[in-house]
Amino acid sequence: MEKPVTRDPGFYVMVAIGLAVMFIAPVMLDLFTIMQITQYVVLSVFALSLGYIWGFGGILSFGQAAFFGLGAYTFAVASINMGSTTIPMVLAFVIPTLFGAALGYFMFYGRLSDVYLGVVTLVVALIFWKLINHTAGPEYSIGSARLGGFNGIPSIPTLHVPGDPSAWLDPGQMFQVFMGFLLVIYVALRFLIASDFGRVSISIRENETRSSLLGYDVRKHKVIVFAIGGGIAGIAGAMWATYQAFIDPNSVSMEMSAKALVWVMAGGVGTLVGPIIGCILLQWLTLQLGTVDVVNSIAVLGAIMMVLVLALPKGIVPTARSLLLGGYILWKRNQGQAISGKVVKE
Amino acid sequence: MDYTIVVALEMVRAVAWLVLLASGLAIIFGMMRIINFAHGEFLMLGGYTVVISTGHGVNEWIAMLVLAPIVVGIFGVLVERLVIQRLYGRILDSLLATWGLSMLMIGGVTMIFGNSVTGVATPLGGMSIGAYQVPRYNFVLIFAAIALLLAIWAVLKFTKAGLIARATMQNPDMSEALGIPTRWVYMATFGIGSAITGFAGALLAPLTGVVPTMGVNFIAQSFITVITGGASVITGTLSAATLLGSISQGMTFLTGPVYGDAALLLAALVLLRLLPQGITGRIFKKSL
Amino acid sequence: MTTEHILTTRGLTMRFGGVTAVDNVDFNLRDGELRCLLGPNGAGKSTFFKCLTGQLTPTEGKITFAGQDVTGALTHQIVNLGVGIKTQVPNVFDGISAYENVRLSARRKHLAPMARELTHTTLERCGITHLAKREVGLLSHGQRQLVELAMVLAGEPKLILLDEPAAGMTGDERDRLAQLVLESARSAAVVVVEHDMAFIRQIAKFVTVFNRGAIFREAMIDDIMQDREVQEIYLGKQANVAAA
Ligand SMILES: Nc1ncnc2c1ncn2[C@@H]1O[C@H](COP(=O)(O)OP(=O)(O)O)[C@@H](O)[C@H]1O
Ligand SMILES: [Mg+2]
Repeated sequence: MEKPVTRDPGFYVMVAIGLAVMFIAPVMLDLFTIMQITQYVVLSVFALSLGYIWGFGGILSFGQAAFFGLGAYTFAVASINMGSTTIPMVLAFVIPTLFGAALGYFMFYGRLSDVYLGVVTLVVALIFWKLINHTAGPEYSIGSARLGGFNGIPSIPTLHVPGDPSAWLDPGQMFQVFMGFLLVIYVALRFLIASDFGRVSISIRENETRSSLLGYDVRKHKVIVFAIGGGIAGIAGAMWATYQAFIDPNSVSMEMSAKALVWVMAGGVGTLVGPIIGCILLQWLTLQLGTVDVVNSIAVLGAIMMVLVLALPKGIVPTARSLLLGGYILWKRNQGQAISGKVVKE
Repeated sequence: MDYTIVVALEMVRAVAWLVLLASGLAIIFGMMRIINFAHGEFLMLGGYTVVISTGHGVNEWIAMLVLAPIVVGIFGVLVERLVIQRLYGRILDSLLATWGLSMLMIGGVTMIFGNSVTGVATPLGGMSIGAYQVPRYNFVLIFAAIALLLAIWAVLKFTKAGLIARATMQNPDMSEALGIPTRWVYMATFGIGSAITGFAGALLAPLTGVVPTMGVNFIAQSFITVITGGASVITGTLSAATLLGSISQGMTFLTGPVYGDAALLLAALVLLRLLPQGITGRIFKKSL
Repeated sequence: MTTEHILTTRGLTMRFGGVTAVDNVDFNLRDGELRCLLGPNGAGKSTFFKCLTGQLTPTEGKITFAGQDVTGALTHQIVNLGVGIKTQVPNVFDGISAYENVRLSARRKHLAPMARELTHTTLERCGITHLAKREVGLLSHGQRQLVELAMVLAGEPKLILLDEPAAGMTGDERDRLAQLVLESARSAAVVVVEHDMAFIRQIAKFVTVFNRGAIFREAMIDDIMQDREVQEIYLGKQANVAAA
C-alpha cells in the first residue's frame, strides 16, 4: 500500500490489457461476439461497484442491484424524455449516488451492525423491485416515459456522440466506449484507494474502533464509500439499459444483487481485478449452462454461492496470490533464507 | 359500526400475520444473531408439505399443524448441521450461505414441481359482519398467532431449555462462558425456529397459493419485523408486529397494497436510526 | 478549576445491567500531570477510559476535557480535541504495515510531507523503525503495544491514556516504554494503568487507586505502597482468583 499506483507494474499491465482489448477486439471479432462481450464489460462495472465498497470499505451490501436498477431506470426515463443520452448518463451517476448517501446516512449514522446492514440493503432492493413491478398501468408515467411495471421500458435510446443525438454509436463503438468507462472507473478506483481517503477506508475495514480513536469519523467515511459504490452501480445500470435498449424489474431483483455478490466472492474480496474476473467467468459459465435445459440457473447460482462460502472463502485471486506467495516462501527457504514476516505489498 | 369492526379485525389480522411470519426467524435471530436468508423458502417448504400431503389424502389440519412443522423442522436441523454450524462466528458468511441455500431451494423446487401456482382451498369459508363478508380463516390466523406466542412464552418461562435460551438472548457471550453447550442449543434453536416457520408457511398456503418463488413476497415483512423488534423474541416480535402491522395496514387502506411494504421499510429505517439495536435493544431490555 | 485541570469528571457512573463498573467517580487531572491508575482486575479502570473516550456513553455524570463538556460526545470528536488512548486489548490495523499504521495517525492533523516526517521520528522514538515494513498482525504482543503507542504519540495528544501498556513486553521494551512515558509527560498529561509496581515506581509519583468502580485512595506512591487496605484489596482479589 505504501507503493503509489504509478509504481505498481500490475497496474500498467491491467491498463495495457484493457486498452489492447478495447482497440483490437472490434477489429478481430465478429459483430455478434462483440455484442456478447459488451455485456461482460457492463456487468464488470457493476461488479467493481460492489468490489470497491466491500473490499475497500468493509461494507457488505446485499442489495447492490437497487443502485444498478435506479441508474438504469433513471437513464431510461431521462433519455426517453430528453431524446439525448449525455445528461441522462450523468444523472444515472448522480441520482444513485445521492440515494446511496441518504440510505447510508440512515444506516451508518444509526450505527447498524453488519447483520442489520445486510438486511436493510436487501430489503431496500426488494421493495424497490416490488414497487417497480406494480407500475404497469398507464398512470405510472414520468413525462413521456411509461414505467411499464413487469413489462419493462422498451425503446431506450442508444448512446450517441455528446451534443449530437443523431450520431448513434454502432455496436463496435459502443463496446469501445464501454471499455473506456470500465478502464476509467478502474483507474479512478485504484487512485482513490491509494489516496489518503482510501487508506482511511481500509483502516476502517481493518479496525473501526481504532480508526475512530485516531479521530476519523467512521460514519462519514462509510457514507461516502457507500455512495460512490452506488454511483458506479448506477452507471453500470445505465450502460445496461442503453446496451439492451430495454430495462425491466429484473435489473433490481434479488438475483441481480446475488450475482454481484457471487462475482466478488469468486474473484476475491479486497481486489479490483478479482470482481471483474469473477464476473466474466461466471457470466460465461451461466451462458454455457443456459443451453442445458434441465438445470435451473438460480439453483446453480445458489449452489455456487454456498460452495464459495464453505470451500473458498477468500476467492480466486487472493487464493492464487497466497499460493504463489507460499511457493515463493518455500523457494526462499530452500535458498536458506528464513522469511520472518510477510512484507505488506498492496 | 360494522365497518369499524371489519377495519379493526383487518388490523389485528395484519399484526397476527407478521407475528406468524417472523416468530421462527426471530427465535433464530435472538439466539444466534443471524438472519436466515432462506426464511422465505422455509415458508415455501411448509406450503408444499401441505399441498403434497393433502394431495395424498392427509387431513388438511393435520398437514398444517403437524406435518409441516415436522418436515421443515427436520430440514432446519439438517441445514444447521451441514451449513450453519461450519460458519459459526462468521456471521456475514452464514447470511451469504443461507442466501445461496435460498436460491438453491427455489431452483430445486422449480425443477421438481414446475413454476406454477398450486392453490390450496381455504378451510372454513366465510361469515358476515353486518353487510361485510369476512373469511373465518382470519380468526384461525389470529388464534394461531396468539397460541404461538403463548407457547413460546411458556417454554421460555417455565422450562430449563427456556432458561438457557433467555440467558443466551440477553448475553450471548456470557452463556458461553457459563459452559452451556452452544452446539446443541444452536441446533435445537435452528430446528425449532424452522419448525415454526414451516407452520407459518402451511397456514399461509391457503391464502396465497404455493409456488417456488413465493418466499420473496414475505421476506421483506419478516426481516423488517425481526430487526425492528431486536433480540427479544416475544416482546420484540409483538411490539414490532403491532407497530409495523398497523402502519402497513393503514397505508394499504389509504393507497393500496403496493405502498404498504414501502411504508413499512421507511418506518423501520427511521426507527433503526433512533434505536439501532431494535426496539428491545433499548426499551424493553430485560423482556423475553 | 477548568483553567488548571485538563480533565475532570463529576459523578461519573457506568452501569451494565446490574453491574456498576464505574461508580460515581470525581477525577481531576492537572495539565501536564503524570498519573498512575491502580486497582485489581475488574475495578473499572478500562471502563473508565472507555467513558472518557466516548467508546461508552456514561449512564450518569459529567466529563470535562480542556474546558469543554464532552459527556456523550462521539469518539472521534473527543479524540480531535486532543485525547489519545492505548487500549488494553491492542487496537491496531492488523492487515497493514507498522509504518502505515502510524502514518494514519500522523496524517490526521498534518499534510502528507509533514506526516511522513512525523511517522519516521515517532517510529524512531519508539524504537520500532526496523519493524516499519512488517505487517502488524504478525508482530509479537509487545511489539504491537509499541506500534499502538507510536500511533497514540503520532496524534500529538494533550492527554494520553495508556491501559496496561507494559503487558507482554520484554525487559528492554519495558524500559524504553518508561522512558517514553516520562518523555511524553513533558508535553502532555498522561494517565497510565499498570499492575507492575516496579514499572509504576519508575514513572509516577501520584497514584489513584480504583476499587469496585470507585476511587478508593489518592496519594503519593510511597504512601500507597504502605497502605494496608490497598494491599488487602489487591491480595483479596488475588486470593479470590486463586480460589476460583
Ligand atoms: N461491555 C460490558 N458488559 C458488561 N459488563 C462489563 C462490560 N465491560 C466491563 N464490564 C464489567 O465491568 C467491570 C469492570 O471491568 P473493567 O473496566 O474491564 O475493569 P479493569 O479494567 O479495571 O480490570 C467488570 O466487572 C466487568 O465484568
Ligand atoms: Mg482493564
